Amino acid sequence: MNALRIFVRTCWFQYLAMFNWATPIGYVSYKLLLPISQILFMTELGTFATGRSNALYFALGNALQLTAINGIFGVISTVGNERQFGTLPILLASPANRLVTFVGRAFVHVLDGMAGVVVGLALATVMFGLDLSHANLGLLAACVVIISLSTAGLGLMFGSLSLIMRDVFFIANAAYYLLLVFCGINFPVDRLPVWAQVISNALPLTRGVQAARDAVAGGGLSQMASLLSGELAVGLVYAVIGYALFIWLENQARRGGLQEAY
Amino acid sequence: MRTSAIQAEDLRKTYITTRGVFRREHVERAALQGVDLEIARGELFGLLGPNGAGKTTIVKIFTTLLLPTSGAARILGLDVVKDPWAIRKRIGFVFGGERGLYWRLSGLDNLRYFADLYQIPPDVSRRRIAELLEILDLKGREKDKVEGYSRGMKQRLHLARGLLNAPEILFLDEPTIGLDPVGARELRVLVRKLASEGTTVFLTTHYMQEADEICDRIAVIKKGEIVALGTPGSIKTRVEEQGVVEFEAEGVPDERIRALRALEAVTTVIVDDRELSQVVTIHCSRPGEIAAILATLLDGIAVRKVSVREPTLEDAYVLLVSG
Amino acid sequence: MKYLRVMLRAFEMSMKMRVINAFWYLSWLVFPLIFSVLGLILLSPAGSSRSAYAILGGGLIAYWGMAYLEGGNNIQDERWSGTLEQLMGCPTPIAFVVIGKLASSLAVGILAFLPGIALAYFGFHQSLHHIDPIPFAVSFAVLTFSFFCTAMALAPVYTLWRWAFALTNGFEIGLYVICGFMFPIAQLPGWLQVMASALAPSWATRSLYAATGQSNGRDYLLWWAVSIALSCAYLFCGWLGFRLVDVRARVSGQLALA
Repeated sequence: MNALRIFVRTCWFQYLAMFNWATPIGYVSYKLLLPISQILFMTELGTFATGRSNALYFALGNALQLTAINGIFGVISTVGNERQFGTLPILLASPANRLVTFVGRAFVHVLDGMAGVVVGLALATVMFGLDLSHANLGLLAACVVIISLSTAGLGLMFGSLSLIMRDVFFIANAAYYLLLVFCGINFPVDRLPVWAQVISNALPLTRGVQAARDAVAGGGLSQMASLLSGELAVGLVYAVIGYALFIWLENQARRGGLQEAY
Repeated sequence: MRTSAIQAEDLRKTYITTRGVFRREHVERAALQGVDLEIARGELFGLLGPNGAGKTTIVKIFTTLLLPTSGAARILGLDVVKDPWAIRKRIGFVFGGERGLYWRLSGLDNLRYFADLYQIPPDVSRRRIAELLEILDLKGREKDKVEGYSRGMKQRLHLARGLLNAPEILFLDEPTIGLDPVGARELRVLVRKLASEGTTVFLTTHYMQEADEICDRIAVIKKGEIVALGTPGSIKTRVEEQGVVEFEAEGVPDERIRALRALEAVTTVIVDDRELSQVVTIHCSRPGEIAAILATLLDGIAVRKVSVREPTLEDAYVLLVSG
Repeated sequence: MKYLRVMLRAFEMSMKMRVINAFWYLSWLVFPLIFSVLGLILLSPAGSSRSAYAILGGGLIAYWGMAYLEGGNNIQDERWSGTLEQLMGCPTPIAFVVIGKLASSLAVGILAFLPGIALAYFGFHQSLHHIDPIPFAVSFAVLTFSFFCTAMALAPVYTLWRWAFALTNGFEIGLYVICGFMFPIAQLPGWLQVMASALAPSWATRSLYAATGQSNGRDYLLWWAVSIALSCAYLFCGWLGFRLVDVRARVSGQLALA
């Protein structure tokens, strides 16, 4: 119980110390203004292109993608800012369990990311009349949890990369907006060329967003099981790569081979 | 009659900060509480004080970066509140440290940029930059990016920037901090040379030896008030009647320190805890007498070194700021 | 002359620092490409009547981003790098430094149109067929002026109130909506159109797209006049803002604080 309490407290401190938007105004800005803006922009662009009847397609897709604000920006900054603040050597010299430390970076962001999707769905309902009365809410909730986990996995990998690269937010920004192109957020993935679809299938969100659309339409688990398990697997692969990179980085830094780490 | 270089009359500065997120509380902190100073042209003046005493606040008011809450400050006869632009053309300032330079640009680019900001004509700035690079031993490295400079080089580049406009007054805020002894000595030599050539220099420092060595006059500031003002020699006379008894011992109990403090001849007792011992410094009026009774007072305690010495400027400073 | 020298030097310095900054490549290359791809995939099936929004939209978004992010953060950037005190202590008003740096952002921002145009032509076989060159050129100049004035107004705001940047950052994509960067403002709800009418860039964007044959209206003179008038109002606010920055910074003593 004590270990759990320490874990939760450590995760919370990491979130507050490293996450650039963990201030009242910053939080309102990225939790409310950014979702409103993104859903509005993409839905209006989508309806300009394809007609008002498709508004909900865009609104729903973008509401789901909002989890990446935490999964990408949040996790990358919580990992990468160790370097910026100069606390990385202190962390590496501590006896802290590396796996727990690493996973802990994403913990609060997964929860916050889920909250972001809930806000997005509420906004889509208010702004564009998204109707969830026929949705399979339990499965929709499961989709939200899984896509939050999978995007956090991607964030962890980028976060580890950012420890040896400058300009963390270059990666965060590019990754966040590229998800809008590749993951079936604004148009079906099969509209993309074949080579791009390969990238889509290798990214989080692609399967999860499709599953969530099926859940909103009232679909059942049998329809979505493979999509959801695939989504989880993708996120896990990225998290494992990120962790391996983190450990490799530590070893390199101790051997003196990575001045950039400090 | 020439105006003074720097004048401050009852200078006060209060900072207001806010605490809390939802129920905001305004907290006032008085950084300066009525400072009076007059510094003549060509003088090399030092301001000493502990951290948070108000040294940087004074420098920022004099360099027009900060407005006083009340009181007046004049630089070369010009009011810091009403005439900041005119003052800025005639002064230079160096805050030093790692910040304040464009790291991704070369030293030369940094100097050219600030030369333009100080409205120095191009032909003059070219010559001036070349001279300063030579004097400050940066020649040959001026085209390298500042991020590759050592701390000493960055400090010298700061100084070059501060001297670009051949200022009548140069403000230096802890200029030797972080420099190695050789670098610090070179800087002091340069500062003395500038003063001897007629530049008024106002510097803040922690280092007593530095102030003692180069300053014509010094002031000691404590909690926003000047507690001493004069030549280094005159400040030392404050402790002339005082002597210093110093001893090193292992584990001096608090009640023995209290007993020392209670002695009539003792002014202050400062305990410096080191790894395996304590160094106790006693400022007192009859050092010989105190040294003689130490054996009785510290009976049972392993005392290593005992020394009696004349007070230094540092002792005077310690007395002034810790009393 | 002395202030012109300062502006030119600030322009030069800004360019030198930009080319070694990865974020700049995000601004003029990555962002416009991403938005152009989105726009082209969605809009090119709708035909050439809409594709101009896809061809120019990504560039407009990036151009605006460079103006408001780089330009608006000019003073804050100096604070973050610890050089703000040095600049404020100089005998040259900081506004001239900001002008020089902003001019460099805008000059380089024009590059942001290239990725979208190239992608449209080579990837989607789309191009701008119906440009009226003189209205297009004037509209682009008016747009640039509107971005300049907006950034000059934002720079002191971001310095005085640090939360203002967080708010505009969150609402950034919302500005693309009400400035009409990738679709006509006319399709928005009435209350959003009212908001759009208070923004100088929205009038300039309207005229820019009209010059590519995207609109039935051609009220260029009115649109230019409104955009320029609003821009001048922003510039006046910016001038007031810079004066306030000087006084407030000197009262609070927070110039050195990031």
